Amino acid sequence: MNIDSIISDLIFIKPEIAIAATLVLIVLVDLISPKSKTALPYISLLGIAIAGVFVVQQFGTAEFAFKTSLSSGMFAADDFGSFFKIIVLLASVFVIFFSISSSEIKSVNDHLGEYYTLMFGMILGMFFMVSASDLVLIFISIELLSLSSYVLAGFVKNTVRSSEASLKYVIYGGVSSGIMLFGISLIYGLTGTTNLYEINSIIQIQSFPHITFLIATLFITVGLGFKISAAPFHFWTPDVYEGAPLPITAYLSVASKAAGFAVLIRFIKITFINSIDHHGNWELLNIIDWRSIIVLLSILSMTLGNFTALWQDNLKRMLAYSSIAQAGYMLLGIAVLSDQGLTATMIYFIVYLFMNLGAFFVVMLIANEIGSEDIEDYKGLGKTMPFLGVTLAFFLLSLAGIPPTAGFIGKVVLFIALVDANMIAVAVIALLNTVVSLYYYVRVLKNLYLVQVDEEKPVIKLSFANGFVIILLAAPILIFGVYFTPIVNFAKNSINILGF
Amino acid sequence: MLTEFGKVFAFILTAVMFVLIAVFAAKLIRPARPTKEKLTTYECGENPEGSPWVKFNIRFYVVALIFLIFDVEVVMLIPWALVYQDSGMLGFLVGAIFLILLGLGMAYEWRKGDLEWARPKITPLVLTKTEPPEEKQEKELNLGE
Amino acid sequence: MLNVGLTHFLVISVTLFSFGMYGVITRKNAVMVLMGVELILNSANINFIAFAKFGNYGLQGQIIALFVIVLAAAEAAIALAIVINIYKTITNINVDEIDSLRD
Repeated sequence: MNIDSIISDLIFIKPEIAIAATLVLIVLVDLISPKSKTALPYISLLGIAIAGVFVVQQFGTAEFAFKTSLSSGMFAADDFGSFFKIIVLLASVFVIFFSISSSEIKSVNDHLGEYYTLMFGMILGMFFMVSASDLVLIFISIELLSLSSYVLAGFVKNTVRSSEASLKYVIYGGVSSGIMLFGISLIYGLTGTTNLYEINSIIQIQSFPHITFLIATLFITVGLGFKISAAPFHFWTPDVYEGAPLPITAYLSVASKAAGFAVLIRFIKITFINSIDHHGNWELLNIIDWRSIIVLLSILSMTLGNFTALWQDNLKRMLAYSSIAQAGYMLLGIAVLSDQGLTATMIYFIVYLFMNLGAFFVVMLIANEIGSEDIEDYKGLGKTMPFLGVTLAFFLLSLAGIPPTAGFIGKVVLFIALVDANMIAVAVIALLNTVVSLYYYVRVLKNLYLVQVDEEKPVIKLSFANGFVIILLAAPILIFGVYFTPIVNFAKNSINILGF
Repeated sequence: MLTEFGKVFAFILTAVMFVLIAVFAAKLIRPARPTKEKLTTYECGENPEGSPWVKFNIRFYVVALIFLIFDVEVVMLIPWALVYQDSGMLGFLVGAIFLILLGLGMAYEWRKGDLEWARPKITPLVLTKTEPPEEKQEKELNLGE
Repeated sequence: MLNVGLTHFLVISVTLFSFGMYGVITRKNAVMVLMGVELILNSANINFIAFAKFGNYGLQGQIIALFVIVLAAAEAAIALAIVINIYKTITNINVDEIDSLRD
């Protein structure tokens, strides 16, 4: 790997370069004119648009960048990565819209430059995460994502819960990334490489001390499980989601989780694959029983998330537990270990992006006015804010998986994949969990509409722009709930992981 | 037969022994008549007051952090410095971009005022004699639990 | 004469890792917990360098160690800044008592 090949490989990371350039531009603009902050969101949106164009252009390429040998490299430019980059970019666009109207972010207006800089740090980290095919690049990009999000979680200064959220996040995050690094060092010691493809070719022919390899892999799974907030690595999730400013909570729950899932899938599929049969089932090497591990994680996450969400009084915290449960559903798609399951997970992610962001946005708009996210304070609000009430109900029903929303389609595709793989018992558990989750989603709706209150409730005004953003989020859920061929095709066309 | 390191060790041993013997010999010979005044920290300066465990200004901490980050990032330049000649101008540019980004971070801190040593407007810490020094210690960042 | 081999380095790194985990789990002071995290990162660093040296894997492991040092410094800087922030807000950095967010 000489320097000329590195320079020529830069064409494969055009989206990342665009994001990095925007980050530098934001810092420069903030330096040159520290007083005016109005331009920053638009610069950010412009940078995301340019990166988006590059990502779309990259669809169809399947090349290694920064090759370490003839058939492996640090960075894989493939459709699978581009798919998750689009998810990340869409989430970023919406979160920037959220930030413009969030009262929490307005309270730190002096530091908007840092806010958008750190957000682009997160995007850059996630972009490298979803394409990384080398454990070291995976670790460094996870750290880039984490370090930015630690600061963003505590961005509202002098607020106890925001500071507390970032402290808890940094402690849990530091420990889990340390454990992950230790696992990586063990794998490096066993195989002499950190490249996933090279590890795969080595463990296909050589046998290792089984227990050491298992421990090393589990350590890496701890780090990745932390990022996707799967139980039992979820302890940080409720506290951080409740304490962080709402746009950041929404961002962590969608984008950072998507990037974590992309890394997990790539890690399992590339490192442990033996062969893929013509039905698209992955034949994994007989070293680690991934299916059992993932099914265990998934059932734990679903059950724990759903049952703890039942007695939450804070809507933000309830949505945090619900997002743990959603991570459980999405893990099921990976547990199938086939292209069909992977497609199901990716479809679920498209849907999850819209419905989760939508729910958080409406909660944020209401919290801007009434200054609370307590479910008790939502009593009777359905009459004073008809539009917000209806859309919140819509997003929550979609999270629960009620037809004709897109959440229903996402769950149906997942269950079909499970049944096709003969995992009936797991499918039944997931179905029962869905029923449980219905209870706490409907509880919010009951407070909105059915509870009689005597006192006067504040009228919540909605600006035209915010209404437009809500419609942008709600329309796809309604459309994909009825006409779902496009997202199914999109997901099917982007499951190509480089090398398989 | 002494190895090269053995010679160095003997040399160091001699130096240490020389100092120790000199110090102890002086202690044996010299008269020792301490008074209270002699035992104070600054014999001919001001009388020390209060506990040494006072809070440091937060600015020391910020400067230390900035130093830490820049110091460690320069570690990245060492491998580059060893090989960049082999890559010619291109290698130089790669390092230059890294340095420009570091410089941008520096400019940012400068502009945001983190490098300004503005005197904080706090009244100097006056400790009265009635306050026992132990209480003062507990208010510090409880480092020892 | 003791022959220092890979095993000795691994013993040190595992000991450091265990001390780090022990510190993270038992300490109540946030700064102490962060020191535990640093121990964990450094134990991984020892592993990388020892494997690179004794496994004849080339220089990759040592370069990784450099990257990890930089990351550890960045993480320490951010974590300490967050601790200072919370100390300014509630004048306490005892992780057991910082519990306004809980079920």
